[in-house]
Amino acid sequence: MAEKLAYLWPEVTLFLATCAVMVIGLSPSAAVRRLCPLISGLSLAAAGIFAIGTTPTLADGAEGLMPGMLPYAKAIIAAVGILIVMLLAGTVDRGEEEELAAGVRKFDPLRLTSGEFYAFFLFSLTGLMLTASADSLIWLFLALELTSLPTYVMVTISTARSRAKEAGVKYFFLGALGAAIFLYGFALIYGGTGSVHLGEIHHQITLQMAGDGLNGITLAGLLISILGIGFKIAAVPMHYYTADVYQGAATPVTAMLAFVPKTAGFLALILLCSAIGWHYGETGHALPDTIRLLLWVMAVLTMTLGNVLAILQTSMKRMLAYSSIAHSGYMLVGIIAGPGATFTESGISAVLFYLLTYGVMSTGAFAVIASLERTHAERTQTGELAYDEADSIEAIRGLARAKPLLGWSMVICALSMLGFPLTVGFFGKLPLFTSGIAAGELPLVIVLGINSAIAAFYYLRLVSYPLFDEAGDEAGGFITTPMRTRPAVAAIGAVGVLAMTVFAGPLMGLAHDAVQPKLHDSDAPIADEAMPTEEAEPVAAK
Amino acid sequence: MIATLAQAGFPEAMSGLTLYHYLFISAVMFVLGLIGFVTRRNLIVMFLCTEMMFQASGIALVAFSRFYLEYTGQVFVIFVLTVAAAEAAMALALVVLLFRRNESLDGSVWSLLKG
Repeated sequence: MAEKLAYLWPEVTLFLATCAVMVIGLSPSAAVRRLCPLISGLSLAAAGIFAIGTTPTLADGAEGLMPGMLPYAKAIIAAVGILIVMLLAGTVDRGEEEELAAGVRKFDPLRLTSGEFYAFFLFSLTGLMLTASADSLIWLFLALELTSLPTYVMVTISTARSRAKEAGVKYFFLGALGAAIFLYGFALIYGGTGSVHLGEIHHQITLQMAGDGLNGITLAGLLISILGIGFKIAAVPMHYYTADVYQGAATPVTAMLAFVPKTAGFLALILLCSAIGWHYGETGHALPDTIRLLLWVMAVLTMTLGNVLAILQTSMKRMLAYSSIAHSGYMLVGIIAGPGATFTESGISAVLFYLLTYGVMSTGAFAVIASLERTHAERTQTGELAYDEADSIEAIRGLARAKPLLGWSMVICALSMLGFPLTVGFFGKLPLFTSGIAAGELPLVIVLGINSAIAAFYYLRLVSYPLFDEAGDEAGGFITTPMRTRPAVAAIGAVGVLAMTVFAGPLMGLAHDAVQPKLHDSDAPIADEAMPTEEAEPVAAK
Repeated sequence: MIATLAQAGFPEAMSGLTLYHYLFISAVMFVLGLIGFVTRRNLIVMFLCTEMMFQASGIALVAFSRFYLEYTGQVFVIFVLTVAAAEAAMALALVVLLFRRNESLDGSVWSLLKG
């Protein structure tokens, strides 16, 4: 147990910050309350630094299945987490704080939710980092639940509007269903292999496959848990909630939903699949046919359905929700391809790199939407103040001329999400293609190619509306929000996309190192040097 | 029947019950929970259905734990119960919130979000 602490310092840091934020969020002084997002951001930066310093070379038996993944996964979680916390800053209690400042209302700690809001955000990221460290099914289950449970509350309290409550309820109920499904799968995996430790499960499955194939209980367990985890990554057939929840939540929380549960789901999938099939390294063998088939069908349906439905949307948040479903489909290709000797052949490093890429570009795009709002707050039926956010795509017509910073950020992020050549989205998608081809999944790669073309239809609307259109009536009604951090996140997202395009090579190298079987000591200094370029940027911008 | 018992590894004292009986019950509970979740519209009943699915996993875990004569599965169940309790707290909070706004526990009343 004690040796596990050595690589859990990032989580410990976040947990301590969570406790601090929960208390000071109730302070009667507005200046102290405003420290919450700052403390959250600083603790994430500290967690990121601790994560980079982690050397996952542990005694045999104490290590997880993919120890090299820890520092990389935690560092990208911290980096994108800082962007998201800047975006979240000031989301809840906005009307309440204004009324307090104006002296309309007296201070009442029961009416303030900012303490819980940031604390839940940090809890969720703690769970996300714990998912990366998981070495047993119990740990994995608890970490996934710790990631999800706070997000249900965050969606519900993100704005005073009724639609946030509706979104929260939908998200919670379907989330509980997803959790029940993968838990049943975990129970069956335990039954089929006799262990909850991923390393031991891997050993048992290898023995079974060398004998007369997987036994029925193990196979059923693996299929059911992959389906259940499909909820976290919003993969078909567990995608129903996505559009409604993304639209109903306040936009900063939507940006969080696009990154946090998806990353948790993919980390869990990588761990599960590495327990099933890959001896990551040269001796790797593919996934069993049934599991490959399930993932294959999920991947094809997820990207096709996501892209086709995204074309039909007029709401930007729904459009990005379906695009987020489609991106999950793309990443499933990497999971099916599995690891390989070089970066271009390794689907796992492609997925890890794509998670970072997607996190930065989708946060940037959502930040643009979050930066646009109507001038006046309205009162909801329960008497709270709520600001009307931009949602319809009409709101970004002519944005590049009216508000160049936001307009160009949207253009850059949308082009990158489309995978336009010479953007980081392109470099992220390329290894998914090449690894698929290397794994002999040509039909899947063709579907991926067709889908990238379909995606152009709606991403190009996000590009052409701000660039080439005149501002319509609808666009005139929106102003840049007075919260300075939101446009800043949009700018950082766009600059991040450009910077990551330039540094794509070293970042891909890091993603590839992350999936190597053992990190040798000689590899550690490389990780120390290269990571800060990407890590320092959000911190410096603060 | 004795042969099945020996295969399943249960001591003789549990005469007549094998691992498969427990797994059958757990599978039935899981499927009933799933069907209930999909067909019912009352939010509390829907939540109870997910709880039933959680408990189905609990039964399977305990049965496997007994089968392997070790405690890991039972430890897992304790964690599952804790998480289920946390979820129940959240579910009730959400249901109360909804009831105050809509005066109804029918999930289909909520239809602001469509498209």
